[in-house]
Amino acid sequence: MIEVDSLAAIRSGNRILDAVTLTVAEGTVTTLVGPSGGGKSTLLRCLNGLETFAEGRVTIAGHKLVAGEHLPRALERVRRDVGMVFQGFNLFPHLSAIDNVTLAPRIVRGVPAPEARRRGLGLLERVGLSRFAEARPATLSGGQQQRVAIARSLAMEPRVMLFDEPTSALDPQMSAEVLDVIVELARGGQTMVVVTHDHGFARRAATQVVELVAGRVHRAGPAAEILGGAGH
Amino acid sequence: MTPARQRERGCRPLWLLAAVWLLAAVPVDGLAAELDEVLARGELVWAADQEGGGPHVYVDPEHPTRLIGFEVELAEMLAAELGVKARFQQGQWDRLPLLLGRAADCVINGFESTPERARDWHCSRPYFAYSLQLVARRDSSLDSLDALAKEGPRGPWRVGVLTGSAAEIEMRRRTDLQVEVVGFDGTVDCLEQVRGRVLDAVLMDDCIASFNADRFGELRGVGRPFAGGTYTILTAPETPRLSAAIDDALGRLITDGRLKALYDRWDLAGRQQMLLLRDAAEVPPARRGSLADLIRGALPLLLRSAGMTILLSVASFPLAILIGLSVAVGRLHGPAWLRPFLAGYVELLRGTPLMLQLYALFFLLPKVGLALPAIVAAILGLAMNYSAYESEIYRAGLKAVPAGQFEAALALGMTKWQSLRHVLVPQAVRIVMPPVTSDFIALFKDTSVCSAITVIELTKRYSVLALSTGRIAELAIVTALLYLAMSWPLSLLSRWFERRLERRSERDPG
Repeated sequence: MIEVDSLAAIRSGNRILDAVTLTVAEGTVTTLVGPSGGGKSTLLRCLNGLETFAEGRVTIAGHKLVAGEHLPRALERVRRDVGMVFQGFNLFPHLSAIDNVTLAPRIVRGVPAPEARRRGLGLLERVGLSRFAEARPATLSGGQQQRVAIARSLAMEPRVMLFDEPTSALDPQMSAEVLDVIVELARGGQTMVVVTHDHGFARRAATQVVELVAGRVHRAGPAAEILGGAGH
Repeated sequence: MTPARQRERGCRPLWLLAAVWLLAAVPVDGLAAELDEVLARGELVWAADQEGGGPHVYVDPEHPTRLIGFEVELAEMLAAELGVKARFQQGQWDRLPLLLGRAADCVINGFESTPERARDWHCSRPYFAYSLQLVARRDSSLDSLDALAKEGPRGPWRVGVLTGSAAEIEMRRRTDLQVEVVGFDGTVDCLEQVRGRVLDAVLMDDCIASFNADRFGELRGVGRPFAGGTYTILTAPETPRLSAAIDDALGRLITDGRLKALYDRWDLAGRQQMLLLRDAAEVPPARRGSLADLIRGALPLLLRSAGMTILLSVASFPLAILIGLSVAVGRLHGPAWLRPFLAGYVELLRGTPLMLQLYALFFLLPKVGLALPAIVAAILGLAMNYSAYESEIYRAGLKAVPAGQFEAALALGMTKWQSLRHVLVPQAVRIVMPPVTSDFIALFKDTSVCSAITVIELTKRYSVLALSTGRIAELAIVTALLYLAMSWPLSLLSRWFERRLERRSERDPG
């Protein structure tokens, strides 16, 4: 589903990613771990073209991304198949929860409004928020907002989901709500790449753990092998 | 202190004389300069509008720093009769009398004798006789005054007049004519507009028409001059002795033929002129009407002009927002080659006065064959001027939307323009609502500048009415109340719009 081959990214003269190669099989969960500044988020953002890279190749959900500037058309095609959930949620504050979820299907995929709404309500149900369909993001808790953001991303029926530290801005209680949703998705066979500091989650859900240190793949393998048996 | 003493000692006889005069008549309010002060200062300050043009007072085309005109020479002759020098004071024509007692001793600028003026100012004996002359293009179907009684090929005839002049009073009085009267601040502007086919004709004093005949070869006088009158010198009512001295001096210039010699030099001394001058008797006194009469008479006119103020605001502001938002989006997200042009557009419109932009639209475009009606030019000018400010506000608003919003929209597969339309712009609009609302009220008041291109809105109507009736304070209060009565509902309207926008976005993201 995802092939990353010899990827290198350079920002202000520093190689912040170097010779990164990894493979993500369909229906599996890969977690990216490692110290801050190791390049986890940059790697994730290269996968859907939010950032460019200097060397190497990415193949994702059947689309190819090459080094240098991407064409807007190509990026739009990639992003329709690749969803992303951000650390800061980035819900659209001027829209209700349900409108956040239905906006992209309607204007990008051309789904008729009633159909989009029906599916959107189903997704909110799935993340446990059908009661809050008409609520504005500002009236929701952080955990609720992140779950709406996941529903918003799922509404595009992505083949791959990217999570950029989805629980780092949340307290443990709210983290648990969000992680339960993500684990549920993983059990349903959703292919995903998750940047996280939460080794507990990695042990619980990850098929593969990739540790990035100073822009390079330090270790990669099954969770038990990389993170050890016991929790911290 | 010391230099003043020395000067006093140096001209003791004159100083003593002045002291005697001062004792004889202490000025009542101390504002207006009486005869003694004029003599002491050695200067007679006379006010006129050099923009009004020849033959009265105009800039010498050979020496642009010099003023010439028959009134310039008359002022010098009068000053010489009083034993002082003449000093010129510039003012806008329809506001010249307001300078009396402050910046000027007298006004000499083709002010026609009217009962209203005689009531509010001291008017000298007449110094010049004029008639009104209709001027049209040579190729116009307008061939006589009587033709004005029937509509022209494009509806009512559009006739330009100098605002506040006898020509305007005459045209507005003639309800039997099929004319639309358009007020201007200068007679040359009127002639330009006739040449540019914006106006069908202009009614002006015959001496101005013949003075400009060579410069406007495409125009010709229509019918004979009619409805004449005389010019008078205005002085403040608080300076009776100065007024009398000027009047006496003028009498001497008439009786000993020096005025006729002056008019001979300027080719203005027809027999009719001299007869009218000799016969023109005293101006009949007029009574001051009651306040109720004044308001009854003025209110309908003020209300109609208030309607124009509203029309200008509500027509131009949505246009300003539309252009401004487009410019802002173009500068932030448009192609790189376009951005310098948009920045130039904003700097040009922000860096030059609105008045100048209106002049360019109204007076310069006809020269390249695009004659806009005044109201269209006014709406367009206001919209363009304000679009520069709106674009800066929207640019700031767009930048204030967090970067994550754009990324989230893109990550969902939206194009740049879809992200702008559905995510960034709706949020920016909400952020900038307060400054945009206050800009609307600013524009509402800025509409008064449009009087420069003949659109009569509330402020202009006020100044014309105040000048012709002399009830400056009373009408100012009525006008201010009208402005408040309009701006209050306007701010309510903007607030309602603000709320509606909030609700709309809750329901419908599109």
